[in-house]
Amino acid sequence: MGGMSTKQRIGWVVITVVVLLWSLFPVVSILMTSFKTQAGLFSGKFLPPEWTWENYATILAPGGSAQDLFLPSLRNSIGISLISTVVAVVLATFCAYAIARLDFRGKKLILTTALAVSVFPVVSIVTPLFNLWRSIGLYDTWPGLIIPYLSLTLPISIWTLAAFFRQIPWELEQAAQVDGATPFQAFRKAVVPLAAPGVFTTAIIAFFIAWNDFVYGISLTSTSAARPVPAALSFFTGASQFEEPTGAISAAAIVVTVPIVIVVLIFQRRIVSGLTQGAVKG
Amino acid sequence: MRRPQAAVAVMALGLTLGLVACSGESGPPVLTWYINPDDGGQEEIAARCTEEAGGDYQIQTSLLPRDASSQREQLARRLAASDTSIDIMSLDPPFIPEMAAAGFLAPVPDDLQDTDDVVQGAVDSATWDDELVTVPFWANTQLLWYRESVAEEAGLDMDQPVTWEQIMDAAAETDTLLGVQGAKAESLTVWINALIASAGGEIITNPEAPADEVQLGLDSDAGREAAQIMSRIGQEGLAGPGFPTADENASMNLFAGDNGSFMVNWPFVYPAISDSDPDLIDDIGWTIYPQVEEGTEAATPVGGINLGVSEFSEHVDLAYQAVECIVQPENQSEYFVTNGNPPSSISAYDDEEVAEEFPMAETIRDSLDQGVPRPQTPYYNEVSIGLQETWHPPAAIDPDTTPASSAEFITAVLRDERLL
Amino acid sequence: MTTPASAAEKATPTNGKRRRGSDRSRSEARLGWYLAGPAFVIMLLVTLYPILQALWDSLFSLRLTALDETEFIWFRNYQVVLGDPAFWQSLWVTVLITVITVAVELVLGFILAMVMHRAATQLRGIVRTAILVPYGIVTVVSAFAWFYAFDINSGGYINNWFSWLPGITEDLNWFAAQGTSMFVIIASEIWKTTPFISLLLLSGLAQVPGELEEAARVDGATGAQVLRRVILPNMKAAIMVAVLFRALEAFRIFDNVYIMTNGANNTEVLSLLAYNTSIGRLEIGLGSAISVLLFLCVLIIAFIAIKGFKVDLAGTRGDT
Repeated sequence: MGGMSTKQRIGWVVITVVVLLWSLFPVVSILMTSFKTQAGLFSGKFLPPEWTWENYATILAPGGSAQDLFLPSLRNSIGISLISTVVAVVLATFCAYAIARLDFRGKKLILTTALAVSVFPVVSIVTPLFNLWRSIGLYDTWPGLIIPYLSLTLPISIWTLAAFFRQIPWELEQAAQVDGATPFQAFRKAVVPLAAPGVFTTAIIAFFIAWNDFVYGISLTSTSAARPVPAALSFFTGASQFEEPTGAISAAAIVVTVPIVIVVLIFQRRIVSGLTQGAVKG
Repeated sequence: MRRPQAAVAVMALGLTLGLVACSGESGPPVLTWYINPDDGGQEEIAARCTEEAGGDYQIQTSLLPRDASSQREQLARRLAASDTSIDIMSLDPPFIPEMAAAGFLAPVPDDLQDTDDVVQGAVDSATWDDELVTVPFWANTQLLWYRESVAEEAGLDMDQPVTWEQIMDAAAETDTLLGVQGAKAESLTVWINALIASAGGEIITNPEAPADEVQLGLDSDAGREAAQIMSRIGQEGLAGPGFPTADENASMNLFAGDNGSFMVNWPFVYPAISDSDPDLIDDIGWTIYPQVEEGTEAATPVGGINLGVSEFSEHVDLAYQAVECIVQPENQSEYFVTNGNPPSSISAYDDEEVAEEFPMAETIRDSLDQGVPRPQTPYYNEVSIGLQETWHPPAAIDPDTTPASSAEFITAVLRDERLL
Repeated sequence: MTTPASAAEKATPTNGKRRRGSDRSRSEARLGWYLAGPAFVIMLLVTLYPILQALWDSLFSLRLTALDETEFIWFRNYQVVLGDPAFWQSLWVTVLITVITVAVELVLGFILAMVMHRAATQLRGIVRTAILVPYGIVTVVSAFAWFYAFDINSGGYINNWFSWLPGITEDLNWFAAQGTSMFVIIASEIWKTTPFISLLLLSGLAQVPGELEEAARVDGATGAQVLRRVILPNMKAAIMVAVLFRALEAFRIFDNVYIMTNGANNTEVLSLLAYNTSIGRLEIGLGSAISVLLFLCVLIIAFIAIKGFKVDLAGTRGDT
């Protein structure tokens, strides 16, 4: 990319600016909403006529009316999403490796199942799950959400990783096997280093999916013991039940977006190396 | 090193206490009260009653979602599974018949059956099959709020009850906008019910009938008059462009804005506007809900919260003791002052602080006395959503056909022949 | 290199003995199931029981608040659902949203992937970080962001900004009509999920052998020719996977519709219809029937994609 003309350089900057505007605009928009006063909310303006931290105080400060609602849900969202991501990615790595690499009967069945599960209408599982969870004591607990979240995170992890593993030059592994390594040793020594970037990408996808859930969160919890943030937003209220909690929702939206931005900033580099210079080009 | 040790000791103590509380053997029984979101008032009352109980019981609150139908859904699903963890419930009145008919509510003891001190609208909403099945807690009603400057400009005498036609003409004349709730939501049913009842009709003529025998009173003169009013406001744009999606909050903002004129809404608007725009308050007046036919008293919308005790509670008697404590007039008037939710108890309105904070308290009480609840049927959810499905957007209502076709649709839904 | 997968497929379960290199392949099969088994079992447990339950429930007239009136009615729920225009209306809305979003996203996603693939190193990081933000954002949050920007009752500013465009006035209520509501719902869906497609496409793009591209250029191919002859054919698998996943996900759209319109003005999608029936109305029987039909729809789409377009992730070594 060294020999870029000035024209090309300007072109790229313009493209970058357009992408930035498109990607960040709604976030900036709700950020601005979160700084508006009650009166400013209805001004029809993008920028707050008057800036205020009041909405953040509502959800974060001790004594804020939505604080009891928001902070526990934030803790739940982080914990539940992380655990279900780790579990899903570990299981999916083994599973996808087997599918992409080993010869055994039933891999079509596994992939078909994964696809069927991943496209499963969450709404239709929720009612029977609710009854089952209640009778075995998982209702309104972390495992009660982690397990259904696996149904969201596992299939996509398996498919993404299987697709990824197929692109890895398996000659290396075969070479290792020829050298007398067992399939598992070959997997660990030759494949894991090549696969790691793909696994990270998958982890991001799985985490975001778990973090994103709304229907399970709202149906399988009833208290702040397990209620995640997206579900908690519908419990917010203004000074009375008829007042729209626009400001508080916006502030909470920004707070749950911050971890996303952090995760993106940390993992962005992994994706870069993982997807572009990973196994194939190397 | 003393601090960590102390912390460990405290944690151990906490753990032990937690275990003791869970065992349920020692310590007062814990009653769980499922509350709708408010400004913290119910939690305060719970703490006060726990203290007053002197160790007989302990009330713990648990929050329900913001909108009434989600509250109903959470409670109904758990009650259908005979969940013992629910003791007291804050219930939105329209959903009470459904819970009562399903046998989810424990019978109200005799000493709580006395309703002499309760406004009529609240008593009606707490009754199913001629029996009081819940205990009225607070009662809500819509008033007609107006901008004095606009009423003056239009030459309306607001000391007399006004009609819908008068305020529609006034808004058209003065080029201002009406605050009414045209969104596809529960507020639309509230409005339809008030209009039909004010015109002397009923949405359901036999509310206690089983689903396949329910008779709807929509296809009537009253139904057509209601449709006429709604469609005129929609078609002439009398409530502005936001009308088809306007809920209570949006109507309030419109009313408080430059084009505000008249608005039907709950009393929460008063503290809310005082807060956001104190200068405006001097221009704001209130009176009883508008009439449909001149000279016929309006059927005002009523809402609020009643307290129900779960049939599956392990402490039904204690729960009713707690309810008795919660609904004391003093608690109700304080709840009104701090949270803006009007009492169902008549004597609670005598409180001095109430009169000071809410100068319209007397109008509220009068309005509650002429209130007509929404249809009291176990199939309320179907009826309400069926109405919203067919009477929305208001501009598309045809007074000649909508009442009949909506009646047909809801009947089919109740017979499980149509989806909603 | 052999193609054991196709050979294995032809074998029946009981004739393992006939397979070549039996010891090795048997241990490979065992390892395969050891590795894949746990994920498989969990997926089955979490979904198989509930869907069977839903299937069973759909044969009953079952209302949660009137359990003693429960009655076995065979397929009458399906008869009601399939005979109701409301079902077909929401199916149509769902299909419309799916087709438009996937088509637009495929184009946008490919452009974004190309941008990320080609951008100079300094810009690349910025672009990638930026597009990952919409992807990572909670759908509910994005729905609120778009809703507040457009809704005139919540002080939306879009009308003020774009009033110079024909058809947009200060008084336009986006959520009062089907077309405009759908526009905002689809726009928010596209914004939120284009990065997903572009990430998958980018991973496909990274697999296109650079030498081929270079060779084509040396041979004098234009950019468009390189794209059509070299890049796209090599990315076919990635494109099909991206489209399939997005289409199936779009078909289940729920969160943004629930928050923005809750189905008003004929914007009700299938998931919302199922939710409102089984959870809102507590009509478990009817709701389960809609859920089962919804599930059948996605199965059909998946089947068409896999059989018709030969999207095949199960392809093993040596299939290229």
